[in-house]
Amino acid sequence: MAVSVNLKLNGAACRFEVEPDERLVETVREKAGLTGTKLGCGVGECGACSVLLDGKLVCACLVLAAQADGCEVFTVEGLAPGGRLSDLQRAFVEEGAVQCGYCTPGMLMAAEALLRRHKRPTGEQIRQGLAGNLCRCTGYTKIVAAVRKVAKRRAARGGRR
Amino acid sequence: MPSFLSLTSLEDVAEMLWAEGPTCALVAGGTDLLVRAPRPERTLWLDISRCAELAGIGLDAQGRLRVGALACHQEVVEHPLVRRHARLLGLACASVGSLQIRNRGTLGGNLGNASPAADTLPALVCLGASVRLVARQGAREVPVSELYTGPGQTVLRPDELIESVRVPLRRGRAAACFKKAGQRKGMCCSKASVALDARVRPGLRLVDVRVAMGAVAPTVLGVPAAEALLEGQRLSPRLIAQAAEACVAAARPIDDLRSSAGYRRAVVGALLSEGLLEILERLRRAERRAEGLRRARRARGRGRR
Ligand SMILES: Cc1cc2nc3c(=O)[nH]c(=O)nc-3n(C[C@H](O)[C@H](O)[C@H](O)COP(=O)(O)OP(=O)(O)OC[C@H]3O[C@@H](n4cnc5c(N)ncnc54)[C@H](O)[C@@H]3O)c2cc1C
Ligand code: FES
Ligand code: FES
Repeated sequence: MAVSVNLKLNGAACRFEVEPDERLVETVREKAGLTGTKLGCGVGECGACSVLLDGKLVCACLVLAAQADGCEVFTVEGLAPGGRLSDLQRAFVEEGAVQCGYCTPGMLMAAEALLRRHKRPTGEQIRQGLAGNLCRCTGYTKIVAAVRKVAKRRAARGGRR
Repeated sequence: MPSFLSLTSLEDVAEMLWAEGPTCALVAGGTDLLVRAPRPERTLWLDISRCAELAGIGLDAQGRLRVGALACHQEVVEHPLVRRHARLLGLACASVGSLQIRNRGTLGGNLGNASPAADTLPALVCLGASVRLVARQGAREVPVSELYTGPGQTVLRPDELIESVRVPLRRGRAAACFKKAGQRKGMCCSKASVALDARVRPGLRLVDVRVAMGAVAPTVLGVPAAEALLEGQRLSPRLIAQAAEACVAAARPIDDLRSSAGYRRAVVGALLSEGLLEILERLRRAERRAEGLRRARRARGRGRR
């Protein structure tokens, strides 16, 4: 029997009928059509499905959609309203932190969560903050550089984006 | 296909478990449940994540630390009471998975899952913690060390659930370490883990020493031999090596898909050594700092005269 779920998805109120064993990643991709969030391993190991659930970084493949009723879900699409890239996304492009791009949406959400918690993260904090996200292309160095760059820019602008 | 029901009061959950226990699968964070689907006879997925009575971290009526079953690992890591009085638990929770997993996975789920590799287990055993179990007929407390009867098996009855974990407060200066070996730093289930908790006494001595190992036996294993060696003795690399040997001797590991018995046995010793050598280094630094302060104070005292 399907379950009714109300979500605030990137700020917009939405209602979905979900299966009892449906995962949030399926709802977001298949029902809301937001395919920025990727499904990689499906078991919490790779982080490609990372989204913010009530502001907390989680793997959408390990969240039961029915349990998210009434929650705010923020996906990579929310970073670029109207298709305008955020400073974080631009930094990824500038630093060459994107190759095949499969890990990128999850990396961006992990970086976003990190920068909300730490305005000036140390190198160690950046690596810790991205530890749940696998990238098989870049070797991580450029991703870390992109996060460092955007943190520095935001600090120079007094915290504004 | 299972059915899904979300209940918001502990009383309703207990009522449901009493009536339908064997067919229910409790869902807290779901990080275990969605990886290893529950057995097919569990046709009702019972969401407990909205029971306020199972949430929160604080002190109970007896002045013990109460960590609600729904507290997620990250919440435990960041809580000031945990930092002050149960540092070892914070260290264990900090080692769980990635931030994504720690934000979602709960302490109750870690215990309810009954995996011998659950990282909070050795920490809670060292801290002398108990679990409060609630059923319609009433509540009972079980020491964490007696919660498991084997891998995946607990003393929980089908009509019971974990309400919270209670940890007696440890006062005085603590030394604690939690070390685990796994596939990858930053996210993995343990091949083996070692937890140690103790009070610090002057002269590089540890007292009230508790040592426990995870994933090297069907259930958590206390290591009385290592505790006895360390108790009240001056910490030294030689003593640490002996304590590590005691861990190796006590381990009863198995071969499985995560690791081999031989590796597990060898690595528990190395894990305890690593943790204790770090503690020794910290204690030495603290002693040097204290000595420096004493000398500065004496010098200032002379200056005034
Ligand atoms: C990628 C990944 C990495 C991981 N890394 C680690 C790690 O490093 N260390 C580690 O220890 N674990 C690890 N885990 C396992 C898991 O995340 C933890 O055990 C977590 O604490 C489980 O909590 P949960 O709320 O998600 O459990 P759930 O999946 O909701 O529940 C787990 C089990 O416990 C039962 N249960 C839940 N709550 C209660 C309750 N209150 N009373 C009785 N039974 C209950 C459920 O019915 C179920 O059988 C990892 C998992 C993944 C997917
Ligand atoms: S798809 Fe969710 S962590 Fe890999
Ligand atoms: S860019 Fe290909 S996996 Fe990261």
